[in-house]
Amino acid sequence: MNRAIYPFYFGIATLVVYSIFFVVPGLMGIYYSFTDWNSYSDEIRFIGFDNLAKIFSGEAKYLSYIENTLVFTVSTVVLKTALGLLFAIMLNDGIRAKGLHRVMLFMPSIVPMLVVGLIFKSILNPASGLLNESLRAIGLDFMAQKWLTDLNWAFKSIIAVDIWKGVGYIMIILLAGLQSIDKTYYEAAAIDGANFWQKLTRITIPLIVPALVVTTVLNLLHGLKVFEAVYVLTNGGPGYATDVMYTAIFKEFSTGNYGMGTALSSVLFVVMTVLGYFVVRLMSREGDER
Amino acid sequence: MKKWTMTLLSVFVAMTAVLAGCGGNNDKGGSASPSASSGASEQGGSKKNVTLTYMASQGWIKDSEMELAKKFEEETGIKIDFQIVPSDQYFNVLKTKLNAGEGPDIFGGQSGYSEITMNYNVEKNAVDLSDQEWVKREDPLSIEQLTANGKVYALTIWDTYSSFVVGYNKKLFNELGLEIPKTYEEFKNAALKIQQSGVTPIYEPIADGWHHVLWFSEPGPNYDKLEPNLYDDLNENKKKFVDSQVMLDSLTQLKEMYDLDFFGDNTLSDTGSDTVAKLGSGEFGMSLVAQSVATEIAEEYEEFEIEDIGFFPIPLTDNQIYYINPGGPSKFIYSGSKYIEEAKQYFNFLTKQENLQFMLDNDPTISNLNFPDLKNKYTAEQQKLFDSYPERGTDIQNYVNYVNPQWMDIGKDIVAMLSGVIQPIDVLRSIDQRRAEMAKVAQDPNWK
Repeated sequence: MNRAIYPFYFGIATLVVYSIFFVVPGLMGIYYSFTDWNSYSDEIRFIGFDNLAKIFSGEAKYLSYIENTLVFTVSTVVLKTALGLLFAIMLNDGIRAKGLHRVMLFMPSIVPMLVVGLIFKSILNPASGLLNESLRAIGLDFMAQKWLTDLNWAFKSIIAVDIWKGVGYIMIILLAGLQSIDKTYYEAAAIDGANFWQKLTRITIPLIVPALVVTTVLNLLHGLKVFEAVYVLTNGGPGYATDVMYTAIFKEFSTGNYGMGTALSSVLFVVMTVLGYFVVRLMSREGDER
Repeated sequence: MKKWTMTLLSVFVAMTAVLAGCGGNNDKGGSASPSASSGASEQGGSKKNVTLTYMASQGWIKDSEMELAKKFEEETGIKIDFQIVPSDQYFNVLKTKLNAGEGPDIFGGQSGYSEITMNYNVEKNAVDLSDQEWVKREDPLSIEQLTANGKVYALTIWDTYSSFVVGYNKKLFNELGLEIPKTYEEFKNAALKIQQSGVTPIYEPIADGWHHVLWFSEPGPNYDKLEPNLYDDLNENKKKFVDSQVMLDSLTQLKEMYDLDFFGDNTLSDTGSDTVAKLGSGEFGMSLVAQSVATEIAEEYEEFEIEDIGFFPIPLTDNQIYYINPGGPSKFIYSGSKYIEEAKQYFNFLTKQENLQFMLDNDPTISNLNFPDLKNKYTAEQQKLFDSYPERGTDIQNYVNYVNPQWMDIGKDIVAMLSGVIQPIDVLRSIDQRRAEMAKVAQDPNWK
């Protein structure tokens, strides 16, 4: 403690501002999740665990929102990381015009999700969309699907669009990780007769673990916070099949059920805190090893 | 000690700075309307440099109204900035804005007591328009739909008498030797025949989120006839939606139509803006439409005359009653607007007799308006429709409480039902559940 360069009170102004704008509203939100606060009456009544009971009773589709959010998060984390790594390795070295390829893959990341969503909504239209039209044109009619309205495909389509948009960003981070690996490792391994797979698992992956941790954290948070992709592509449909936490929260707020909305946010807050705790522990363990 | 004084001092300074900031914002909150782009300062003379924002769902603002708005701007200098939101997102956006205290100067909304009080909380969010001149001229049935506790909150300019009915391709019906169906069975058989002939029977734009609910809600008066006193019992909470066999039948029939592929392959992605094209191209044989569709098709497709599209009411549960919806999309003035007077001026302008007639004459989607002494444009087919179905009744959402505010939710439930995720009875159950919640919030004595 005594070795600290700056006295602790230097941080107080920041802490105060942070508390007022983040901690206090956060705590208030948790308090409101135990009330029936709504836009129809001025009275806010304390109703205990009613809201939470409703969420976890499984009656009103709330559990499926949580499930969808988790499915989305896990699948985007896994797929984005795998594809991002694949692209990063492919574009790391030994390919022509790799700058161009990298830019092409990165491009979708700088387009706003709403724009991407609108474009894909038209591409995925079952009757007149580019995807189905192309499939039909090359005689693959049986592969044409109702991408955004079929129960079996809607959520997968959303995940696919999100991956299409996000994978370039992950690739760039992993690429930076790859670039920092000293080439001599590979040369030494080659002399010892290591094949591609051995180089990948013994050299590449262990050395880019820090980058992988970063991308995982980013993907995790992105996945749990998903909103625009679902909102613009299906708006939760067909029925409630693709609703996630944030679209549900948005709907609760827009119908004026603030109490329920904050309750859902609080659940998400708890989930994020728990996950965040483990991820931070994982990261700090990485740090200790070094 | 010195350190502590410093600390306390800095905390104090930070707190006051932040709180002062908050206070300042609060003071402004009431009067500042972030939506109204105030333009420049008011100029001298009679013309004002004011822009009114007007937000509405797709299809609610007719092209002829936009033309009138331009004239209005020429006359007064008040510009109307139309913000059109896709219908499946409109209510979310509107309610979020209202709840956040950032409403547009004028907003569009649906009608009915429970709708305007529950969904828009008009007593707080809208301006009382009871003293306006046009209130005396507008159809009292429409006025009643937009009245809460004796005060009128919105202007309705709508073709209220032209309900959504099934519009059918008469030529196709003649070719196949089909008659106007009087029962659901006849309707189903007709659709099957159309299907066999290679034409998709019904264009149903489910993607809009609201349209397909009409199939269930519009035959309401028939439900009330088959189960006497149903409407009143529902309002008094003596009966629930789940208790009604006829409503269950209606949903089951709708599901059957979907399962038989009457709506075609793409119905969950279809939108209402394509209706004219789909009927006009002959790809589809029928659709649940506004009656003006006949005129629109005749204008766009040479091979169609106005008389080539005939009409009949939704025949689910063998309904033969012509249902009426005296309300309709309406215009509210946001109570937080800076330009309430200007907005009232706009309403007065729109309701001038010559402007109403202009709207009627220049809009193919309107055949009459809910104001007296206008020259209507009813076609022979419409007249025939009115004559063939003398029995009249009000549809569910304009009579039964707490239905209209959950319209889009019912829409989602029905889609879930069509996709087979839930059963028809579950749709009714969810409706009851939401009604109970709303009634509880509204402290309805019948639900206690």
